[in-house]
Amino acid sequence: MGRRYGLGGPWVLRGVDLDLRPGTLVRVQGANGSGKSTLLRLLAGIVAPSEGRITGRPRTAYVPERFPAALPFTAAGYLTHMGRIHGLGRRAAAAGAAEWLERFGAAAYARTPLGELSKGTSQKVAVAQALLADPELLVLDEAWTGLDTPAREQLDLAVTELVTAGASVVHVDHDPRRPAGAADAVFRVRDGRVEELPAEGPSRAGREPGRWARIVAVGPPGAPLPDALPGDPEHIAGEDGGTVLTVPAGYSDALLRALLTARPPWHIRHLEEAEEAAASPSATAVTAATTVHPTGTGTKA
Amino acid sequence: MTALLRYHTALLLRSQRWLPPVLLYGAFLAVGVQGGGPVLDSLGYAAAALLPVTAWLVRICATQEPPAARSVTAAAAGAPRAHLAALLAATLCAAALGAVAVIVVALISAPSGAAHQVAVPRPAAAGAGLVAGAVCVLLGLAVGALCTRPLLHARGWSLAATVLLALLALVGGGSPARYAVTGLVTGSRNGVVTLPLLPLLAAAVIAAAAAGVASVLTPLRGADGGRAAS
Repeated sequence: MGRRYGLGGPWVLRGVDLDLRPGTLVRVQGANGSGKSTLLRLLAGIVAPSEGRITGRPRTAYVPERFPAALPFTAAGYLTHMGRIHGLGRRAAAAGAAEWLERFGAAAYARTPLGELSKGTSQKVAVAQALLADPELLVLDEAWTGLDTPAREQLDLAVTELVTAGASVVHVDHDPRRPAGAADAVFRVRDGRVEELPAEGPSRAGREPGRWARIVAVGPPGAPLPDALPGDPEHIAGEDGGTVLTVPAGYSDALLRALLTARPPWHIRHLEEAEEAAASPSATAVTAATTVHPTGTGTKA
Repeated sequence: MTALLRYHTALLLRSQRWLPPVLLYGAFLAVGVQGGGPVLDSLGYAAAALLPVTAWLVRICATQEPPAARSVTAAAAGAPRAHLAALLAATLCAAALGAVAVIVVALISAPSGAAHQVAVPRPAAAGAGLVAGAVCVLLGLAVGALCTRPLLHARGWSLAATVLLALLALVGGGSPARYAVTGLVTGSRNGVVTLPLLPLLAAAVIAAAAAGVASVLTPLRGADGGRAAS
């Protein structure tokens, strides 16, 4: 597919052929003005390709880079409207609005008109509207810009949860370690072309050393480790029937949640920060990292 | 679609941008409609004035979201659907305004024809007035949809085109609005009230085509109003 301005305008992107798989985190990189935002807007369905087409349209949410929306709503009122547009019922939308404002530490601004919010709080509202309806495709255009550290971590966590749940998340961010260092695929936009770089995926490349979490969990007797755990943990058998899982620290909350809410649930015996991924001598026991692509609606561009 | 309509209507009503067109309509009626005047003449006037007012409301609704919020809505609902909802929200508000105006005008006017020579029953006149009003609202939707985003982005051209096209839709030969309004005025002379159903059908087809074209073009012609920052 391709996209250009107007009928005879210059091509921004051309010959783009991409496949967005469910359950993947995709980073788009490229220089300023290379067409990253245009690619994201195409993927989000905000603009349509001038040639070619995009097939498959999952439930989509988009977070713009800046959200100075002077709309005549309060933050909670706007989020409730957006929740309903995303397909939630009235109660679910209102509850989701309150929950996400709370998660981003903006609950105090629920009754503040959008026009009076600070830049960072507006951005929190923009992120919250995208997350409150569990999208199947989340498109983040430098959504982290302007957020404070706790909110950035919440967004990292939410992204990890979505990817774990089988959603596709596409993002542009100039910090290559975000979120939590991993991307299952990288699209590079250059000279109007988009190429898919080799996946850095579950590989540990580019991750900060020393920020690992080691979790010792005990499963029900005989139960295998649940599938598709967040962060693709390396796991080895520990003492007393426990399993030692090691994940990048950014995934630890999501992994704990996945273990505790698994059916049947796992018991967490111990949690510690680890110096490196496979400190244990049985590093050879590390199972091959399998990237799981649950079947579902994907977006083929 | 209901959620989108509710969102755009709330946006329109809370932003108070509806005030100028509604005041203009009130002024139109205050000048052109007198209590005790012939009912069909007054209704024809009330219906005709709805056309430019609807076009104005449609323009307001199509452009009232800031670009960032528009992108967010477009991603959530699909750009064509989001744009269609904006057009329809304005149309529904204009229809509500028109219905109130027709009923008030029918109540305060005299149930008689022009020069008070023939009797014209109020209910029949109000029915014809409502249908004529609907014709004008639908054509107003078509005019508004064709004269704003995504077809015309520049505000000046958009405004000029809206005024010109609204005028053409009212007086141009072959326009359903003209048929509907002249039907009322003729009825006032000879005392025969006819429901302008054929113009209504034609207006509905024109409105659907215009709104459809505008909605489909929305994601193609830069939902952001031009060049996107990359």
